Amino acid sequence: MSAKRLPIDVDHGAVGAFKDETASRKETFYQGPSGSDLASFPPKERWDDWVELDSKSWPRKKELRQVLVPTTCFNCESACGLLAYIDKETLQVRKFEGNPEHPGSRGRNCAKGPATLNQIHDVDRILYPLKRVGNRGGGRFERVSWDEALTDIASRLRKAIVDKRPNDIMYHVGRPGEDGYTERVLAAWGVDGHNSHTNICSSAARAGYQFWMGFDRPSPDHANAEVILLISAHLESGHYFNPHAQRIMDGKQNGAKLIVMDVRLSNTATHADHWIAPYPGSEAAILLAIANFIIKRKRYNSDFIRKFWNWESYLAAERPDLPRTFESFETAIAEAYASYTFDFAAKESGVSETKLCEIAEIVSKAGTKLAAHNWRSAAAGAEGGWQVARCLFFLNCLLGAVACEGGTYPNTWNKFVPKPIYMPPHPKTWNELTWPKEFPMSMYEMSILLPHFLREGRGKLDVYFTRVYNAVWTNPDGFSWIDQMTKEDSPIGLHVALTPTWSETAYFADYVLPMGLGSERHDLHSYETQDAQWIGFRQPVLKEAKRRMRRDTGADTRGVNPGEVWEENEMWIDLSWRIDPDGSLGIRQFFESKKTPGTKLSIDEYYDYIFENSVPGLPAKAAAEQLLPGEFMRRYGAYEIRSGIGQLFAEDVPAAELVDVARDAFGRVYAGSPKPDSLNVAPQPVPDADAAGRRAVGIDVDGRVLRGFPTPSGKLEFYSPTLKAWGYPEAAIPVYIKSHVHPENLLPNEVPLIPTFRLPIQIHTRSGNSKWLSEIAHSNPLWIHTSHAAEVGVLTGDLVRVSTRIGYFIVKAWVTEGIKPGIVACSHHMGRWKLESGEGQRQSMATVSMERNKSAYMLRRLFGVEAHDDARDKDLSRVWWTDAGVHQNLTFPVQPDPLSGMHCWHQAVRVEKAYEGDRYGDIVVDLEKSKAHYETWMAKTRPAGKFSPDGTRRPHWLQRPLRPSKDAYKL
Amino acid sequence: MPTPAAIPLPLKWAKVIDQTRCIGCHACSTACKSENEVPLSVHRTYVKNVDIGVFPTARRAFQVTRCNQCENPPCVTACPTSAMFQRKDGIVDFDKDWCIGCKACIAACPYDAIFINPEDHTAEKCNMCAHRLEVGLEPACVVVCPTQAILVGDMNDPASKVAGIINREVVAVRRPEKDTRPKLFYKGAHTATLDPLAALRPTGGIFMWGEQVGRLGGKVTSGTSSAAGSGTRTTSSAAAVLSYDIPHNRPWDWRVSAYTWTKSLATGAYLWGGPAVLGIYNHDSAMWRLAVPFVAGFFLAITGLLLIADLKQPTRFYYLFLRPQWKSWLVRGGILISAFAAILALHFAFGLTGNGAAGVALSWLGAPLAFGTAIYTAYLFAQAKARDLWQNPMLPAHFGIQSLLAGAALWTILIPAGDLVGGPDLSVSVLTAMHLLMIGSELSMTHGTAHARAAAREITHGEFRGFFALSLILSGLGILTPIFGAFGALCALLGLLAWEHAHVQAGQSVPLA
Repeated sequence: MSAKRLPIDVDHGAVGAFKDETASRKETFYQGPSGSDLASFPPKERWDDWVELDSKSWPRKKELRQVLVPTTCFNCESACGLLAYIDKETLQVRKFEGNPEHPGSRGRNCAKGPATLNQIHDVDRILYPLKRVGNRGGGRFERVSWDEALTDIASRLRKAIVDKRPNDIMYHVGRPGEDGYTERVLAAWGVDGHNSHTNICSSAARAGYQFWMGFDRPSPDHANAEVILLISAHLESGHYFNPHAQRIMDGKQNGAKLIVMDVRLSNTATHADHWIAPYPGSEAAILLAIANFIIKRKRYNSDFIRKFWNWESYLAAERPDLPRTFESFETAIAEAYASYTFDFAAKESGVSETKLCEIAEIVSKAGTKLAAHNWRSAAAGAEGGWQVARCLFFLNCLLGAVACEGGTYPNTWNKFVPKPIYMPPHPKTWNELTWPKEFPMSMYEMSILLPHFLREGRGKLDVYFTRVYNAVWTNPDGFSWIDQMTKEDSPIGLHVALTPTWSETAYFADYVLPMGLGSERHDLHSYETQDAQWIGFRQPVLKEAKRRMRRDTGADTRGVNPGEVWEENEMWIDLSWRIDPDGSLGIRQFFESKKTPGTKLSIDEYYDYIFENSVPGLPAKAAAEQLLPGEFMRRYGAYEIRSGIGQLFAEDVPAAELVDVARDAFGRVYAGSPKPDSLNVAPQPVPDADAAGRRAVGIDVDGRVLRGFPTPSGKLEFYSPTLKAWGYPEAAIPVYIKSHVHPENLLPNEVPLIPTFRLPIQIHTRSGNSKWLSEIAHSNPLWIHTSHAAEVGVLTGDLVRVSTRIGYFIVKAWVTEGIKPGIVACSHHMGRWKLESGEGQRQSMATVSMERNKSAYMLRRLFGVEAHDDARDKDLSRVWWTDAGVHQNLTFPVQPDPLSGMHCWHQAVRVEKAYEGDRYGDIVVDLEKSKAHYETWMAKTRPAGKFSPDGTRRPHWLQRPLRPSKDAYKL
Repeated sequence: MPTPAAIPLPLKWAKVIDQTRCIGCHACSTACKSENEVPLSVHRTYVKNVDIGVFPTARRAFQVTRCNQCENPPCVTACPTSAMFQRKDGIVDFDKDWCIGCKACIAACPYDAIFINPEDHTAEKCNMCAHRLEVGLEPACVVVCPTQAILVGDMNDPASKVAGIINREVVAVRRPEKDTRPKLFYKGAHTATLDPLAALRPTGGIFMWGEQVGRLGGKVTSGTSSAAGSGTRTTSSAAAVLSYDIPHNRPWDWRVSAYTWTKSLATGAYLWGGPAVLGIYNHDSAMWRLAVPFVAGFFLAITGLLLIADLKQPTRFYYLFLRPQWKSWLVRGGILISAFAAILALHFAFGLTGNGAAGVALSWLGAPLAFGTAIYTAYLFAQAKARDLWQNPMLPAHFGIQSLLAGAALWTILIPAGDLVGGPDLSVSVLTAMHLLMIGSELSMTHGTAHARAAAREITHGEFRGFFALSLILSGLGILTPIFGAFGALCALLGLLAWEHAHVQAGQSVPLA
């Protein structure tokens, strides 16, 4: 029986969202979590005019009439669905809730979702285009018009393109938040100018997955798993935090065992059935000990391995002594991993043998329901960390838990990137500033090395865009960036910062162009949150609200955004027309309307094209509600194309494709048929064609031709001929690599510092403009174990000097049992600062002075966060915290992993009580030391010039953003 | 024979928070701030974090913390104007239009769930998003939670999810001994978060990602101090460290300490002063006709002003009389003070006409009213159910003694020495000794609860030991009034003030959440 509630007051205009009332009106009832007759959201049929009661007036019933418009959150890459509740009278966004129509986030959000409201109303945000006045970094800017700014920028871009200096143009993105739009802009310009943040994020993990299966990211099916194995902190951070956290807890509630490997007591470790805290960098040793256990106990899925691993290649190359049979392989693999005993792993990791054995038992019995995930964490910290991801996926491959329920899917199969209106060809040039010869197999660009490369004169940048990318702050060795930006004859010609807020990087820009937040811009994206394919649409919510209310929305997105805040997508179209106004450069054609040729492509036409033509099932679904596809997407914000993708690798290749077939010695099948058109243009690796130019289509398995994986062999590459050929024979199979913070590699008195852990409340520097988030989390003390703290002689709150190999920072101690003794950790997000001369985010930045003495830089805190009386937001007078944290990243030298290019975040540090005269927030760095450290790590690389087996810069089949034409690959 | 249908029970809203699902992400915190436009520095809900255990056998316990929607809500009982009220369906709601900002609700709530909103200066707390329930929507925190850890529903409906969890699973409530009968049930909460004194408060004024109180003054931080030599101990035998919390309220400041003192002066001036003056002079004297009511009235007026000044909505003080909630001791005290003031006014008015006998007749009413005015504060403090230190059976007697002592000391100062035959008598000495005896009893006896013990310790060894020591010295000098005369009496008076301040502040110094 249902609860009897107090009768609704019939005097006001509100209708109820209750179950029976909604049902009687034949509207959609969104069941709330409590399982009662209460809804979680108003019925979608009423999103044009929904009446709610005002909380502040309660118990007086003041009505608020609202229009609900979906968008997606911009605070992290998860892009969870949001519904903007827009007041119909004021046409202001009152709040953001989740979007129940979003298949990934399912109507729920993390703290950063609702906090988007703060970011919209932040009084410190940048509202107008700005141009530098005075020296770069002097903090003085004047307002200019968009026209002036874009004319200037366009002319420089045009000159660089016309003068055939395409590598002088670079677009450096922090948070993409979209699938490929900007890459296609660069392709249209013909420049290999894409740069990203990936090598401070997921490069290593991508390498580990890609060498196995071609796809570079995992899509674990947590909700249906029996064992969830995380080398990550997905209950609080990462790709894709909220959607995955939901499903991990669903899985746990369904009886899954959660195993977490983390040196620190994360919130995720708290929920683990088994938490192990290994010595940083030893994770692969543990994983291989588990693999060894599975192999010895013969608990592996032999049928799966036999069919889908490239074991024959392995035997042929490495064990020619053995007959080429599966039984031989079983013998060979057992021999290969026999040395990875629990004893060995225990010695490397400090975790007891008993515990390791316990974990191994559990994992080995998971069958095909092992959902495992490594995104950053250990892979992002340790040299050789890419093997962590590789060894983790090794377990999935041993158990056959690949692309099946409860297992780990390749990401791309759970992703749909709809074909856009134009697909410009990729550039014919190769930019060595981002893809240098030293790192032929780097996963994404060597972004951290850019200042060093510029210093070495390897190139210069005529126009450099930073987009929601706080290079100076988020990277290691930020002073090197500042140095290159501010020196006399800087190699960075024009620095254009595309950002909604002030940041440590925007200070050093020449143009600061304000771009919209998550409810003020257009983007389209698709992420692998479960075994399904969906698209999510981000839009300027006021534009859609006005459209529904038949009001004027202005010429472009600036018409509905605050001030003159724009969005990149429209801006790129405009900019591209300015670069090539008459189309003679061949650029303009990719930004022209198809409906009215000769005019600019409008953003609406761009997306309507996709919705009408490239999303299977969408037009029909829309028509069922008498909507156009574009109207449908603007109304509901998300669409699920299909679910239950399953094991695509085991599907038969259709006979139509098997034309002019050839095979290699290992069962790789090639065909002369052309590549079938697909509406899904999600990037995939491109295995090489055979000598006759036939494309790889599948693999021979037990008399059938199955699709397989997009690797050269078509199979899961336990043994990577690519790694062998390109100079890494010792790493051709999953192995354990002793990291740069292995005890053997530490100097006396050094301990490892883990600077990568993230807070659920913040996201790098992008959330620094939310007062609610800053109120909760505003500092990053150094986590140090009680016993270690006693040795150092500090209590919680005392100052500690942490010295890296190139400098030091002064931070407070957080004495805790939540970390392995002898390891220290400091959170990634805190330590924002602004210079006295500049503007900034007042509630999350400390004000600092920056001094330079030859090669030494020093940052000193002048004062912390202060309260302000600001008529625009009275809350600013209630800012009660003073701390903003310490920017540790400045003291980290670049440490590019020689294979994956990943910046190895873990630092070898000395931890001491602060010296006399040390003040909280002091940061000192010597750029000479930074240079020397960079050179040490460059010496570890195995450059293409020396190791390329075929005269190319990079294995062609490996994925690469904005992959240039094949000719450009030649050395 | 058809089975009789079960008689449906009335709707009773309850909340379940499943800490086995909660991942401590704070989405509920920001969703609530958004939905209810809660300013910075105050919170309707937050997520308390406690790190438990010793590496590697450790975890972080979360507790989503807010109003417990008590079935027996002390905030409602304490509220003088029913601004805080309980609905028939069990929701404890509030009406800002009637709040006078007296903070009795905050003093009463054993969970520190209520705060004064700095924008509108009235009390506020989680009210289960009653404005959303009204239109059939779940509360904002329920909807946003990634793991659906927060549930609401009818606990009287056996088919509801909340009833299922409350009645069939292992759940706990915060501080059940406070007899509030909370309707927020925690599944999987650790005692280290449920018990406010279980966790150690870190040194250095910081938590794992923030400051404990930052710039805010007058706040209470949760947990038990870990400062060396503090002599405090946590109530948890398992290692527990508070890793994240919000600053907590201490609602009644120096104005409330001062008002108890001025009230003692006002009532004592009448209760002790009356008979004394009548004894030395007679009922025709100006001292009886005018001085007694004037002195008492003067201090009563200051008392009233202090009470009004303490309100966050001082211009609304008269709401007390417009819409009195009779169980509130603020209301009862207000009536007593007003009635006593009326007696004094009449006494003075008659006195002006030369009539002293009227004052004597009035004193048959005046004396009990004065006595009531003197001791009602004990009941007011006890109604602040949150404060264990004030659940003290001797408090009425102690306030009675304080009143007489204040009166005795005051008149020792005011009555010209020449009129005191044989010098100041032993009244001040004896009453001071009795006052010290009461303090001694209070502080030397073992306390019934850890909270009471902690509060007492704040007086003797903690934040207020200065005031405490001062009060002992002053009272000591007060005992020697026969030797020091008016000076001694003044010391006795000031000793009272120092003691009350320590008592009132220490009582609120113990963390509740």
